[in-house]
Amino acid sequence: MTAPFKAPFKNRARAALADPVLKIAIDRTTGNAERKRAAALAAFPEFETARARGRAIKDHVIAHLGHYLELFERNATARGAQVHWAADDAEARAIVTRICLAADAKLVTRAKSMLGEEIGLPHALADAGIERVETDLAEHIIQLAGEAPSHIIWPAMHRTREQVAELFKAGHQPPPAAEDPATMVQSARRVLREKFLSADIGISGANFLVADTGATCTVTNEGNAELTTTPPRIHIVTAGIEKLVPSTAHAFALLRLLVRSATGGEMTQYTTFHAGPRRPGDADGPEEMHIVLVDNGRSRMLADEFREMLRCIRCGACMNHCVVYRQIGGHAYGGTYPGPMGAVLTPVLDGLAASRDLPNACTMNGRCAEVCPVGIPLPTLLRAWRRRSWREGLEPGSLRAGIGIWAQVARRPRLYRLATRIGLPLMRLFGKGGWIARLPLAGGWTDHRDLPRPAARSFMDQYRAQQKARK
Amino acid sequence: MTARDRILSAIRATLGPGKPPAQIAAEAAALLDDPDAARPRLAAPGLPDAFAQKAAALGTSIDRIGSMAEVPRAMARYLDAHGLPPRFAMQPAPELAALDWSGLAPHPGTAPDEPAALGLALHGIAESGSLVIHSGPDNPILMAFLPLHHVVLLREATLLPHLEDYAARLSAEAAPRNAILITGPSGTTDIEGSYVRGAHGPGFLHVILIAEPG
Amino acid sequence: MPGEPKPTVGLFVTCLVDAIRPQIGFATLQLLEEAGCVVEVPQAQTCCGQPALNSGDDRDAAHLARQTIAAFEGYDHVVLPSGSCAATMVHGYPELLASDPDWAARARAMAAKTHEITSFLADVMGYAPAGRRLNASATYHDSCSGLRELGVAAQPRALLSHVEGLEMRGLPGNDVCCGFGGTFCVKYSEISNAIVTEKAEAIEETGAELLLAGDLGCLMNMAGKLNRRGAKTRCFHTVEVLAGRAEGPAIGEDAP
Repeated sequence: MTAPFKAPFKNRARAALADPVLKIAIDRTTGNAERKRAAALAAFPEFETARARGRAIKDHVIAHLGHYLELFERNATARGAQVHWAADDAEARAIVTRICLAADAKLVTRAKSMLGEEIGLPHALADAGIERVETDLAEHIIQLAGEAPSHIIWPAMHRTREQVAELFKAGHQPPPAAEDPATMVQSARRVLREKFLSADIGISGANFLVADTGATCTVTNEGNAELTTTPPRIHIVTAGIEKLVPSTAHAFALLRLLVRSATGGEMTQYTTFHAGPRRPGDADGPEEMHIVLVDNGRSRMLADEFREMLRCIRCGACMNHCVVYRQIGGHAYGGTYPGPMGAVLTPVLDGLAASRDLPNACTMNGRCAEVCPVGIPLPTLLRAWRRRSWREGLEPGSLRAGIGIWAQVARRPRLYRLATRIGLPLMRLFGKGGWIARLPLAGGWTDHRDLPRPAARSFMDQYRAQQKARK
Repeated sequence: MTARDRILSAIRATLGPGKPPAQIAAEAAALLDDPDAARPRLAAPGLPDAFAQKAAALGTSIDRIGSMAEVPRAMARYLDAHGLPPRFAMQPAPELAALDWSGLAPHPGTAPDEPAALGLALHGIAESGSLVIHSGPDNPILMAFLPLHHVVLLREATLLPHLEDYAARLSAEAAPRNAILITGPSGTTDIEGSYVRGAHGPGFLHVILIAEPG
Repeated sequence: MPGEPKPTVGLFVTCLVDAIRPQIGFATLQLLEEAGCVVEVPQAQTCCGQPALNSGDDRDAAHLARQTIAAFEGYDHVVLPSGSCAATMVHGYPELLASDPDWAARARAMAAKTHEITSFLADVMGYAPAGRRLNASATYHDSCSGLRELGVAAQPRALLSHVEGLEMRGLPGNDVCCGFGGTFCVKYSEISNAIVTEKAEAIEETGAELLLAGDLGCLMNMAGKLNRRGAKTRCFHTVEVLAGRAEGPAIGEDAP
């Protein structure tokens, strides 16, 4: 979606770094996720084979994307679902809004879907005058707070229990009796139950679109997806076109990777396939099912160097293991998707000019790629964005000039030797003892840490002198 | 040009003309060859023990009984142990209606705040401790989500070793509107990562595992 | 191996070692010679090009790649006391020059014989230091590029286990980035600072007297932070300890 005006990335990051409560919340959630994932993998020695297979499944689907989209459409239609296609976020919003207005819907329940966030569905529903109730507990929390998700698995991970208690006190009638998580969850259960049963339309995402059955698949631990999609008259699914799998068995192969990588569990509590609307005689279920297949930059990624990103199954492991995410949290990234996967996707969705900081604000340590369950080379993709940003002249002039001058010198070894011969003694003048505490033009370094004083003579000079002495 | 045409033609422009569908299908199937190499082994020898171990580890309680006729007694035991009234929602399935429910009061339909419900699982999956239920005329989906206590009957004979074994059956038959794998009671870790049961669905999941083929 | 000619090694000391801590270069040279190599230090070396590569400036990075390949491709092996510079040559150069018909094959050939020093000593030369002693406790940080792009993990630990008197202590989060990231640490200095602060805390908590690592960039980052915090931890490159050169000044302890 078109990004509203945002403070620059560095300001957002600075604000996040200055928030000690946020850091506690991030450490709790990502620390837990990291430990549980490690334990789940230790108990699953077949993980590496499963990962290679998961990657191959995604690559296969991507290589035959057109075929699988049409197959899915055919089978979903045969089950009675109505399939819609949206080339971009605006089209997707328009389709969903149109279905809601045509059904004269007053109340819509929604089960967490990052794609829904990506296409700006929450705002679109509000603009159409439709009451939207988020049913995932975390989404319920951030809806009460008027915020966006800060993590793709735990959208409210930035909120402490005390903050949640404040939100529930103001937002629940009657307010929860106590501030412990169990009591607060019970309160949400009661409040949302009424909404589930009175909603006109339920909107979900899809973790998988199963081509050979035409089913969409949702996975949740709370059971909110089924309560969102069963009672209302209409069930709408919004899903990215990369969510396709050939069959249910392929979905399970990926699910084993997804759940372990996301939460460290083996299976989500509820894994549900939705194939069309209620069948004749069925005891419950919606009368209509609509599936909105959303491109929004994906066919473009297929054509460029970001194709591998289409493998992403949205587990969040990359952000849980990212040193940058673990310092600044999700909101500082400023897009729908945070962390390493978000730093690759946000330039696709919001444009590189608005997000060039994201692929740059990364140490290239490679831990994200190491934990990715479908082997996405995230650092390579981030470097591809850096390359494009450099080529398109989006990098700051000071950096371009600095790198340019440095490269001119580094490409001339003799000049380089001369530069070190002059530069090192000069730099040493700023030192005291072995350290330099403040160096002009190097505030980025010395504002936060000392710089070891350089050698009086470079290695190359010392080495050459030794060689001469030997001869 | 419709959005559909624009998307598909953009994809075709990149990928070129596709392979024959039969070849694609064969390639897709080959990706799942040697499934044991890429899935967890069962937790115990024998499907019932493997299932029971996995399910218990997820917080599902298990009562193993010999025959279908023992179900009402097992249900009474469960309700009693949890201080629940003898009234509970029951799936409108003929084989449940045929049992002797004297002393208990099963009823059809599930209230929004139903304390307990009893239903039948179509399958159990030993690998993951999952229960499979399908929507249908005699199986309202909400019965598995509205109650606080969800009690599920599972016949040992219907146990399947792995998720793939269930997937094969699902594609062989016409898939129902909803095919649901339930793996443990409803839970959330959305507040500070603390695990709390009963987020929206049942806070308690109880399996009555029946040895007799039925 | 007796009878066989000694392998020739082109030593790329890296720009940071050249300027900041030449002793790492001399320690590397010494270890390579002890391991039975004939070592040369080509004068045409400057920087591997990583700052340009990581900034997206492929043109300048490719220039430096070609310059470095031309200077080093004649040796049996190319060895660097840095996992990240070695990884640039092993993975970065072939990628940078992949579509350059004159250079692609040369880049791949050089990549195949380029090594980080500890993995070269342990894996290729089967070397183990003898008669080294250092009475100290130390902890080890795995620098990311070496660890993930080149698989440097067991080799430095195995080599260090031959140093008598050296007590190694585990570092919680040993495989988590220190926040250096090349130009990242100055471009996003506040985020980098937050990361290295956590790293410094973890190092201090081990109580180890020494911090060892295989990349001077990361070492400068961690040592600089530790010093700013007033920590007493002394920082050395792994090869300095292996070469018996860790008795003198540590990083930042005014070396001559």
